[in-house]
Amino acid sequence: MGRVILWEFGKLARLRSGRVGLLVALLLPFLWALAPTAGLNQIYGLILVSGWQVPALALLAGMNFLFPFLTAMTSAEVIGSEVAQGTLKSLVLRPFPRSGILLAKIVAVLAYPYLLLLASLLGSLLAGVIHGLGSFAGGTGLGAEGFAGVGLVAPTQALAEILRAYALAGLVLWPISVLALLFAVVFLSTTAAALAAVASILLMQLLGPFIPLRPFLLTTYLGLYSPSTYPQTAGFLGLASAQAVVPQGLVLLMIYTVGFAVLALLIFDRKDV
Amino acid sequence: MNAVEAVAGASAQVPSASLEAQNLGKKYGRKPILESVSFRLNPGEVYALAGPNGSGKTTLIRLLTGLAFPTSGKVLMLGQDLHNGGHAVRRYLGAVVEAPAAFYPHLTGRQNLEMQAFLSGLTQAEARIREVLAKLELLAVADQPTGAYSLGQRQRLGLAAAILPGPKVLILDEPTSGLDPLGINKVHEILAELAWNGTAVLLSTHHLREVSGYADRVGILGGGRLIDEVTMTTKGERYRLRVNEPERVAALLKTVPGIENVTLREVVIIFNGAPQTAIAEAVREGYQVLALERDYFDLYDYYRERVRNA
Repeated sequence: MGRVILWEFGKLARLRSGRVGLLVALLLPFLWALAPTAGLNQIYGLILVSGWQVPALALLAGMNFLFPFLTAMTSAEVIGSEVAQGTLKSLVLRPFPRSGILLAKIVAVLAYPYLLLLASLLGSLLAGVIHGLGSFAGGTGLGAEGFAGVGLVAPTQALAEILRAYALAGLVLWPISVLALLFAVVFLSTTAAALAAVASILLMQLLGPFIPLRPFLLTTYLGLYSPSTYPQTAGFLGLASAQAVVPQGLVLLMIYTVGFAVLALLIFDRKDV
Repeated sequence: MNAVEAVAGASAQVPSASLEAQNLGKKYGRKPILESVSFRLNPGEVYALAGPNGSGKTTLIRLLTGLAFPTSGKVLMLGQDLHNGGHAVRRYLGAVVEAPAAFYPHLTGRQNLEMQAFLSGLTQAEARIREVLAKLELLAVADQPTGAYSLGQRQRLGLAAAILPGPKVLILDEPTSGLDPLGINKVHEILAELAWNGTAVLLSTHHLREVSGYADRVGILGGGRLIDEVTMTTKGERYRLRVNEPERVAALLKTVPGIENVTLREVVIIFNGAPQTAIAEAVREGYQVLALERDYFDLYDYYRERVRNA
């Protein structure tokens, strides 16, 4: 199984959308680091004082639409490219179980959001050098107080906040990734699957006004990586404590991820290819 | 002993078909693509599947290889239901389901085969890979990415991948498509050799005259149904005899040992068996022999007629 997973990573590295995504994630932070101060201030109410704030900007901008979209696109292409090339048939023809083949692909698509975020973080830190990566007064944008902060932030503290946020952001992208794979199994097409996944997320966003549904909507937890949004999310969900947002969100994200994965496995097992 | 070995062991005791389709049907929505297709393929048999475009050949092949699931009926491979828990029996299946065969373009021919060997659970894969590459005359390009292969090379690599696990059942969709005449001959040689060694071979083809030389049976598909099955075992042994009194001679030949399947087609007697014996008997009884010639069965003409009348 390990060898099959390794092959999947090899294939993932050659996917066009995957490569484009990584490149965009790597280069995007430079846009923010070099953005005119006035413009940045106008949009985010922020004047960059440290390179440690660039990762937050990249994450805020990316998680809004770009990273979910790139994740959905790449996950869909993991199956779609095999269908287009005709190689899925040669895999399924072998005595290796279909579930094993798809499980390896699930591992690959779960890894991709982290590769994307790693590229983004790397680009952010490189771009952040322009503004310096020493101690600074303010906030990383990924702590409880956002960019305002609570005083002097040491580099280690800043890095810890950023790593925590990026780790959570990856988990937020997991269900989207597996949802796109599920749609790819259903439609056997990259475009249809990616569009269906994105449309599902947008539909969930539109369901926000239905209060009883809110705790179960994936979109409610899209900001889970940013502690400054917890009070608002807690109010949105009617939770007594902002601390409860993360555990509740993680449980739901895991349920969605595992649920989509199991569904994909069940469908793929009896799917005409 | 795993499930497949148990099946193979059981098949050694009770002779069973290598591949059997039982009332196979497939619908997409309400539209039937295949209806009640049944046939058996025994070890060492070559079964050619013919039919016009849209007759359901590729769908049938996808069902027989387990790529698609039937709406009704089942496929037994070495006695095991292929679609219900029978994925392990694919250890004995070799197949090329689309022409040209598809490979990962960034991997070399050898690496693609290594991947397939691993997924097939092959031991000593390296030697076997070299062997099949040599058989298909691909050693010179084995370490080049398949993205740079010509159509014919990809098709030959597809056959190499199919025969890699030493299959007991080989299913090929248009195996000679895109090949030059030498390549076509090579493929036919390999298929005939595999069948001689006990592999059951099923192939779809439009080139009926090519396969009539070594196919045992030809199934003709039309409108999603198996409209006819032609047995080719008597190929090359049939003769046409013209005599002065055909009805009497036909009656006579029916009593002659070694002369079989005597039929009268208008004024021509068709029979199987030694032509010298037939002539000697007719002359001995005082009949005049006007002509004797081989009765070539033209599969292509038969196919055309059968499809037209279906």
